[in-house]
Amino acid sequence: MSASSLTSILIWLPIAGALLIWLLPLSRYATGSLALLFSLAEVGFWIEQAARFDFSRSGLQMAQRANWFGDLGVSYHVGVYGFSLWLVGLTVVAMAACTGYGFWVGRDRSRAYFGLMLLLTGAIVGVFVAQDLLVFYAFFEAMLIPLYILIGVWGGARRMEATIKFVLYTMTGSLLMLAAIVVYGLKAGTFDLVDGPVSASRWLFLGFMLAFVIKAPLFPFHGWLPDAYREAPPEVSAVLSGVIAKAGLYGMLRIAIAKFPEPTSFYRTTVLALAAAALVYGSLLAFRSADFRGVVAYSSLAQSGLIAFGLFAGTDLGFDGAVLQMVAHGLISTSLFLIAGVVERRTTTGEFRLLGGMARGRPALATLLMTVGIISLAVPGSASFAGEFLILAGVFQRAWWWSAIGAGAIVLAAMYMLRLISGVLHEARGSTVVDEALDVRTGELALIVPLVGVLLALSAWPAGISHHSFFGQSPTATVKSQFR
Amino acid sequence: MTGGAWLCLLAPLGGTILITLCGTRIPRVVAAWISTVSCFVAFGGAVWAFLGVQARHAVGPVNPVTFLPAVPGRGEITTAWTWLQSGNFHVGLQLLVDPLSTVMMLIVSGVGALIVLYSIGYMDGDEEERRYFAYMSFFVFSMLLLVEGGNLLLLLVGWGLVGLSSYLLIGFWHKRPSAVQAAKKAFVMNAFGDATMALAFFVLIAHTHSLSFAPNFDVHLSSTAINLVALGLLGGAVAKSAQIPLQTWLPDAMEGPTPVSALIHAATMVTAGVYLIARTHPIFEQAPTIELIAAGTGALTLLVAGLIALVQTDIKRVIAYSTMSQIGYMFLGAGVGAYANGMFHLLTHAFFKALLFMAAGLAIHALAGEQDIRRMRGLGQLMPFTKWCFLAGALALVGIPPFSGFFSKDSIVAATAALGTWYGWIFWVCGVAGAFLTGLYTFRLWFLVFPGEPSPFVREHHHRHGRLEGALTMLVPVGVLAVLATVGGWLQWSPRWTPFTDWLAPAARTLPVAIPTNTQEYYTSAATVLAGLAGIAVAWAIYSERRIAIPAAPFWRRALEEKFYFDLLYDRIFYAPAAAVANVLRREFEEPVVLQTGSDLGEAALETGGLVRRIQTGFLRTYVLFLAAGAAGVVLAFLIAK
Repeated sequence: MSASSLTSILIWLPIAGALLIWLLPLSRYATGSLALLFSLAEVGFWIEQAARFDFSRSGLQMAQRANWFGDLGVSYHVGVYGFSLWLVGLTVVAMAACTGYGFWVGRDRSRAYFGLMLLLTGAIVGVFVAQDLLVFYAFFEAMLIPLYILIGVWGGARRMEATIKFVLYTMTGSLLMLAAIVVYGLKAGTFDLVDGPVSASRWLFLGFMLAFVIKAPLFPFHGWLPDAYREAPPEVSAVLSGVIAKAGLYGMLRIAIAKFPEPTSFYRTTVLALAAAALVYGSLLAFRSADFRGVVAYSSLAQSGLIAFGLFAGTDLGFDGAVLQMVAHGLISTSLFLIAGVVERRTTTGEFRLLGGMARGRPALATLLMTVGIISLAVPGSASFAGEFLILAGVFQRAWWWSAIGAGAIVLAAMYMLRLISGVLHEARGSTVVDEALDVRTGELALIVPLVGVLLALSAWPAGISHHSFFGQSPTATVKSQFR
Repeated sequence: MTGGAWLCLLAPLGGTILITLCGTRIPRVVAAWISTVSCFVAFGGAVWAFLGVQARHAVGPVNPVTFLPAVPGRGEITTAWTWLQSGNFHVGLQLLVDPLSTVMMLIVSGVGALIVLYSIGYMDGDEEERRYFAYMSFFVFSMLLLVEGGNLLLLLVGWGLVGLSSYLLIGFWHKRPSAVQAAKKAFVMNAFGDATMALAFFVLIAHTHSLSFAPNFDVHLSSTAINLVALGLLGGAVAKSAQIPLQTWLPDAMEGPTPVSALIHAATMVTAGVYLIARTHPIFEQAPTIELIAAGTGALTLLVAGLIALVQTDIKRVIAYSTMSQIGYMFLGAGVGAYANGMFHLLTHAFFKALLFMAAGLAIHALAGEQDIRRMRGLGQLMPFTKWCFLAGALALVGIPPFSGFFSKDSIVAATAALGTWYGWIFWVCGVAGAFLTGLYTFRLWFLVFPGEPSPFVREHHHRHGRLEGALTMLVPVGVLAVLATVGGWLQWSPRWTPFTDWLAPAARTLPVAIPTNTQEYYTSAATVLAGLAGIAVAWAIYSERRIAIPAAPFWRRALEEKFYFDLLYDRIFYAPAAAVANVLRREFEEPVVLQTGSDLGEAALETGGLVRRIQTGFLRTYVLFLAAGAAGVVLAFLIAK
């Protein structure tokens, strides 16, 4: 197997798996096992890809290109850079955990469910490796279809409302992006991301950015977020905030910043202001949220703001920190939503006024939630601390007040995360917490502990990502050269 | 010597991991001993590093009494791997072994090991002993990382992790809402300090692209930049060391188990601010205004905390305020440039304050958890060992010769006299007044708790654990610390005998302006000792003989009992507004505007859908018509475009 086919395998293997599951009339158990097998195979292929990736080389690696519409300059072009390698890794690991969670809780209509989860995996990987704008768009949209169905069918009581909001917001963004893509491609004569020239068009930049700020999301485009994160099944919320949100941020880096340098500097202050608003607003609302998932949802909004800070700081530290933080926060929020699912299954609720005192007699749950919560509030020494430190040090070089806002938001993060931890684990026992509610079971541990393990490993060596995302000593120069 | 440093750092971490992984598979007492042994191993590592520093880098003649070289070396940095890197900015996972860090390593691991040993007896029977000991080892690891960290970022990592372990241990009894609140408060106030430190580091990175100790200490920044850096560092130091205005978390932190108070909130973590100033003194020396603010903060805190301690009724809170007050002395010393004097007080304070807490712990343990000093009268008759050990600690705290506090505290006050400026004299007066207050509040505690006939409450509730006053694991550390609190100060009697200052000189040399003349030393010593004795005498007259009534000053009494209203103030100006703003945002913006927009869009879309549905007639002819019209439109568009 050649190295370059690995990229395509990572996209198409799960999609093939999805088709297989839809075709074969298997039992629920066999379907789940098969899906899990496919997602673990994905992780295996990704490890192989990471092992073969040459960090000392610049430019696109493991690329494959096949003409599609030659006269329009459209081709099936995929490949990976350092930063996309890490995001693909985040995707396959998080999706394996989430698929496993769906298997563990025994989702009904299993063939439909697992097929959609695998399809989703392939589509997200496609977004992170596509090097042609139309291919990128196709995967970006393909990602949404399984999500609509997953939220609309397996979601909570108000799932329809949540789905409709989600569809409307994301469709609006996507349509404008499609228009921007078509205009950009026709003007440039190619839809290729690697060959394509830079553009100075502010309108096109805004067309792309709108899709990305809705997806990430940034304030005030987050209207879909609280409902979707609360109503979706927990493992789908985990994917949404852990991975899908990163697709929006990735788009900012790969397309908006790299292809539109002039509009980027023109709108820099605007985007930084939106990011700061997301950071502060998200943190404040997380602090007053009445339930587990509400806190994590709004903290995800805040984190998107922080990562956008790093990206639009336009400095070396900012870019490296943003990639590191994307991966770290992806793992954190995946774990937190899965833990929310674990808690909800035992108590039927995530509301703090009905929860509390769960630490007593449940050491594994307490240890897991405490560990992830502490990493999530960026305690010094953690991977997320490293990411946030780099981001804020990077944006400091733009102007000091951005960092001051960021540092203030970190104090708020401590406040809302400790409130979450205590609300679930400490003080008097909540009215829905019964003695029979079990500690985290082995099956659940097998899903969440690996995520926490990766987080701890990253905490020991954050340079593993921060120094291996962009070629060479200067990420700024790499971005400026459009990653060539 | 670097091997010793790594052993010292990693042994407690290994203890934590082992206890966590073993979980319930090991008995509680095994977890306790794993933790204790790991801390003693760390102490062994610290001794190894200490000997290494003195042997390998020895320069000049060796002192015939202490065998220490007159001038030890600058130390050595050892790097494990590059922890964080981006562009040309990189930070290694590195340790610094130098005279300053080895002294701190010895204090942290030595006193830490004794306190963990004490915990075996104190925590015996608690259901979650394993968790407790895992946390204690983790704290010792974090604190060692703080003092050994070979660059500013790693120092901040240790800084944050001690805050985390402090949070975990204050809230150890998490069923108590007050403990959970206190833990959260401590964490958030410390997070504020972490944030100001991080901002200071951003300034440094922007100017020097580095966070290593050496280049930053030689570089000369603009005076604004250096002042900001020093101010940010001071913010971290003030938060961690519970100085005004970030002091309110420390008394609440007494919700944790008593050995935790002894280790974290007396002997080690809260004094980290002094270490930070000593470690980064070249930065502070370039920012004299900020250094003066540090000294002023210390002077103010030592008085205010001493005053508040006068009206506290909880035995642990009295000692907690006393800790704040003593750290105020250390800040005063470090702030005027007498780093070694501040560090020396840190050392002796670690001995006598850990002793006081642990002796108080023996009393609390014997009285089944009672902490109110008004009910403890006459305890000394039933617990003579505790009584004498506590007395040794109390005399050391007040600074009565020959107990250790005398040697360290007086040299700080003398250093302020050496300044010779108007503020130097204000500091001097504060220091002497603080000595009076120390005598007063310490012996108020003493006379209320120990002498005399046991009160009915004590008779009823006092119970012995076996033949002794407590478990042997508790008594031995208390005894050892009582000896150290008594003789520990003989290490140095400035100006005649200064091995400690000489040892630290390569890392933190005392500024020439802060070296007092002999005369200044003598009259300062006389003044502070007399002030301390006066405090004791007043305490005796009021609380033992009851010859003087407590002055009735309801306004002041209330102000002291309310701790000068800091808690109330912070609630009004920080917490309440933040919560109110968040609530208003949610009620007035998030719900009606942001979330509603989504719903409105949804309804609009459904209505549009209804309109569109009408053209879905199901008749083939309608569809063909639309198809044809659409195709015609596209063709037309192309034609026009051409």
